[in-house]
Amino acid sequence: MAVQENLYLGSFPRRPDAARLELVYETFPRLKERAGQHAGTLSGGEQQMLAVGRALMSSPSLLVLDEPTTGLSPILAQEAYAALAALRRDGLTILVAEQQVPLALDLADRGYVLDHGRITLTGSSEELANDPGVRQAYLGV
Amino acid sequence: MTAVLVDGVVLGLQFAILGVGLTLVYGLGGVVNLAHGQMAVLAAIFTARLMDNGLPTVVAAGVGVLGIGLLGIVLDRTLMQPVYRQRGEARILLGLLLMLGVGFVIDGVLEWRYPIEALNLRIAGEPFTVGGLKIRRGSIVASGAAITVGLMLVAFFRYTTFGRATRSVIQDEEGARLCGINPSVVRTVIFGLSGALAGVVAITQSMTSPVVSTAGVSLTIFALIVAVVGGLGSVSGAFLAGILLGVVNTLSAFYIGTFVSSIILVVAAAVTILFRPQGILGTG
Repeated sequence: MAVQENLYLGSFPRRPDAARLELVYETFPRLKERAGQHAGTLSGGEQQMLAVGRALMSSPSLLVLDEPTTGLSPILAQEAYAALAALRRDGLTILVAEQQVPLALDLADRGYVLDHGRITLTGSSEELANDPGVRQAYLGV
Repeated sequence: MTAVLVDGVVLGLQFAILGVGLTLVYGLGGVVNLAHGQMAVLAAIFTARLMDNGLPTVVAAGVGVLGIGLLGIVLDRTLMQPVYRQRGEARILLGLLLMLGVGFVIDGVLEWRYPIEALNLRIAGEPFTVGGLKIRRGSIVASGAAITVGLMLVAFFRYTTFGRATRSVIQDEEGARLCGINPSVVRTVIFGLSGALAGVVAITQSMTSPVVSTAGVSLTIFALIVAVVGGLGSVSGAFLAGILLGVVNTLSAFYIGTFVSSIILVVAAAVTILFRPQGILGTG
């Protein structure tokens, strides 16, 4: 299926909304360039964009992402987070599980450190970024 | 020669619609509907009975098509449910055997109750002349109907939400589920659509030659060959294969003989399986 058709499916069972589609294309201009292309022929990063874009088509109030940067190059990961930051500015609530802690803490208001399924530490992103344990374990300082 | 070619295309269009119905049900749920042709014949005989009881042709045909669509929905909701609970080879085998049984039942009932019934909607009147070529009115109407149905199918799959949902289930059931699509509902609706398509073929077929109560098995075989050559699960493939095989069938029947033309069709299917198992337009 083409990229655009994949996006349309995101609004299932409602009709795709043109304004919403425009928003997704604004967030991920790459998807607009490839609107007619088969989704299977996209690069890994583009497919991630498409997955997020498809989720956005349903006008969600909460976007849940599980390691959206998996398999992305550092530059692409940064681009992905820039797009997420733009969505956050527009008022979307985002819950993201991420191993790349600096990226996630830059984006988030609050963070939770999970260890074997339990929350071991919680606080505002700033507090976490300044926590000696977190700095040592995840920030490489 | 040209006249034979036209006949071939007319027949091919019917084959195509028949094959599309079979290929859709297989693509969605892995069920090879071996009662597809029998369902078409059932629609034909049902329509003929309604006409015997005084219903106008158009109404009777409409009721026949919808009735067989409804049967498709009922079959999917009842007999096919244990099939969909199976996975892989078990599902395909169980679906195939159950539908084979349904085919036997329909054949048996028809032979028992209506052995000499047939649907004949031959359209009277002078043949049309197109570019010096005489084409029977029935052929024109039948092709027109088949082309209309084909275009409607293309539009349905390309531009409607449900059509896109259907394609997504054929391509990746798990992915479709993640988008909130319920594959089970899609399967039921499409099984109904497939039945209705078989009904349409029965009606259009009877415009050029009578559809008799014993025609089921051969229609199923045609549908199967078309679906195999076109690629199981590929709608556009089934369409192309239908027209192609219709022309091949008619040409070989005209120049060599009916019996040989059946052999040629089966050989076409065998060669496809050997050299291009995914069908002419299938992927993967």
